[in-house]
Amino acid sequence: MIYIFLALWLATGAATFFARSRRAVHLLCALHMGIHALFAARLLFGGAFLATSGAFFTFDEAGTVFYILMIVVAAFVFLHSQEYLRDDGIAAYRTYFALLMLLITAITGVYFANNIAVTWILLETTTLCGAGIIYHRHSEAALEATWKYLFVCSTGIAIAYLGILLLSAAASNRSLDYSELQWLIAEGNPLYLKTAFLLILTGYSCKMEIFPLYTIGVDANFAAPAPASAMISTGLVNAGFLAIFRVYRLFASTEVFPWVRHVLLIIGMLSLTVGALFLRRTNNYKRFLSYSTVENMGIAAIGLGIGGIGVWAAVFHVVCHTLIKSSLFLQIAVVRQVYNGYRINRIGDYININKVGAIGLLAGMVAVLAFPPSPLFVSELMILSQTIASTGWWLAAVMVLLLCIVIYSICYRVIKLCYQPNQDELHLSKINRRLSYGALSLLMAAIVLGLWQPAPLRAIIDRIATL
Amino acid sequence: MLLSLIILYVLTLIYLSIVERFRNYASLIAFQGWILLGIALLRLHSLDWIELSFVILETLIFKALIVPAILQRVIRKTKINRVRTSGSAQFNSLLLSVTALVVSALVTYYVADSSVHMIFFGVALYALLSGLILIVLRSRIFTHMVGFLVIENGVFLFSMAIGVEMPILINTAILLDILISVLMLGLFMTRVDREIHADDSDSLTHVKD
Repeated sequence: MIYIFLALWLATGAATFFARSRRAVHLLCALHMGIHALFAARLLFGGAFLATSGAFFTFDEAGTVFYILMIVVAAFVFLHSQEYLRDDGIAAYRTYFALLMLLITAITGVYFANNIAVTWILLETTTLCGAGIIYHRHSEAALEATWKYLFVCSTGIAIAYLGILLLSAAASNRSLDYSELQWLIAEGNPLYLKTAFLLILTGYSCKMEIFPLYTIGVDANFAAPAPASAMISTGLVNAGFLAIFRVYRLFASTEVFPWVRHVLLIIGMLSLTVGALFLRRTNNYKRFLSYSTVENMGIAAIGLGIGGIGVWAAVFHVVCHTLIKSSLFLQIAVVRQVYNGYRINRIGDYININKVGAIGLLAGMVAVLAFPPSPLFVSELMILSQTIASTGWWLAAVMVLLLCIVIYSICYRVIKLCYQPNQDELHLSKINRRLSYGALSLLMAAIVLGLWQPAPLRAIIDRIATL
Repeated sequence: MLLSLIILYVLTLIYLSIVERFRNYASLIAFQGWILLGIALLRLHSLDWIELSFVILETLIFKALIVPAILQRVIRKTKINRVRTSGSAQFNSLLLSVTALVVSALVTYYVADSSVHMIFFGVALYALLSGLILIVLRSRIFTHMVGFLVIENGVFLFSMAIGVEMPILINTAILLDILISVLMLGLFMTRVDREIHADDSDSLTHVKD
């Protein structure tokens, strides 16, 4: 089944490259999203859930949850992009949307791949589509960010491939399917397994935006149009998370699993530290939101590293972060329409210019800082309590200290944007408040999850987190 | 014969560390492609003809012909010539490369078990380190691209060390991914040179905090 859908998604994406008018681009976008909606309906109601399709794809719980989230975000991204790129020429316009469709298709493949080599191939494909989107502005900064993204991601993914080969050696080259690998590597050479995990984690860190290759994700978000950053910072980051999470689950039955958890804990703490420190330093709102992603993915990695209830919390954290961060990036896209820039020290008074947008940003600030009723409050509390239970107070104390820095930095900058006197010239364009409302609706969905987690969602996350 | 080719491959890696002219880099990458073709023919002759044909096509067309052609085209378009004007860093590079070779041999000796081919494992590790050294030590972005290609060749050798056999569909997809990556790297490198006038990574400083 999936091959038919993949062909349809690729066809709509490819057709968009040749669209001659904006109307044709919009029609193709609607068609593309319609096919996704049909696929989602087949997953949820057509009996395809948990089935295997072709030789390389399985519609498991984790893939399905992240896929549904991604298409919800993608619908908003398409709508915001149409407004955001309204001044662009048709060639740049259609290329952007075509690449966005191909990126979404590649990410869908990553979510459902049941073979570690297929995951790798599709992650590399996201690099190629992402590079085109990052270069959309054709500015010097965009070119530099694209070159760095392409080069570091390709090198990182090549390193991850070495890890996959080593994992294959540990499994005596019998299979690369996740379901079979889990049993094949159970008795594998521990040194090979450890090296393989390190290489895969390092390589995929460029996609999950965690230490050590987080920088290119930040640069990519900075250079890409803001609605596309919403997709990169959520859909693509989730693809990286899921790729690492699947490898993490493979290792659960091996003797090196405690070591794997320690590595994730260290990587998580380093990511949280980097995120907290750079949130203070940066002078650009998009980079600022990207460092917040690094910080949140660091927390998710800590959850996986801590284990126990931390695994559940990590998955829930990533799910809710998707809604919150996409909402914030889409709000920032509206901010750019007003100020024509993202300079933290110069722009302000947003509350008087676009009240709905400012409220969206302030509410997003509360949500991303994990204040109740944010769903991140639930996940971070779980991770902190499991940290105290597993490692004692000292690690939790360091985490809380870093989170205090995060709280200060985010509050300071978002309040500054809303209330400080504006020093830049305003862009003479009409604000489309419907876009601010749209972004706000994603945030509302996240807050509902903070107050009430539906039983089916809890059950699915339970199954995802079962190792 | 196989051992001779592997020794030749190691020599190209050592030579890469002291090369100054970009045309020599491109020639060495092409030469490595031909050596890998020879190694693949000798090592994988027991494969069925479809898989063997694929590996031969991969090494011959991709590694020995297309990639060097892309490198030559980048050199022509950007009119770049040398890594640096003076050759003072050659000795340091050589020293580091030889150290990497010794480290690779030691690591292989202690790490490799019966499931991997020791010599291939060691050379693949050395190729990986050589690629990383090129990327870290040299500032020209063209050299970084060469470093990436050296790493890719190392990965190819590594897959031979392990004897991993993937379905032809996956192999084709992997090859296509890498080919498009190299094409895009070449394309963007040319643009970086034309639009930012920077062939040095130290000049790429517009995107920062």
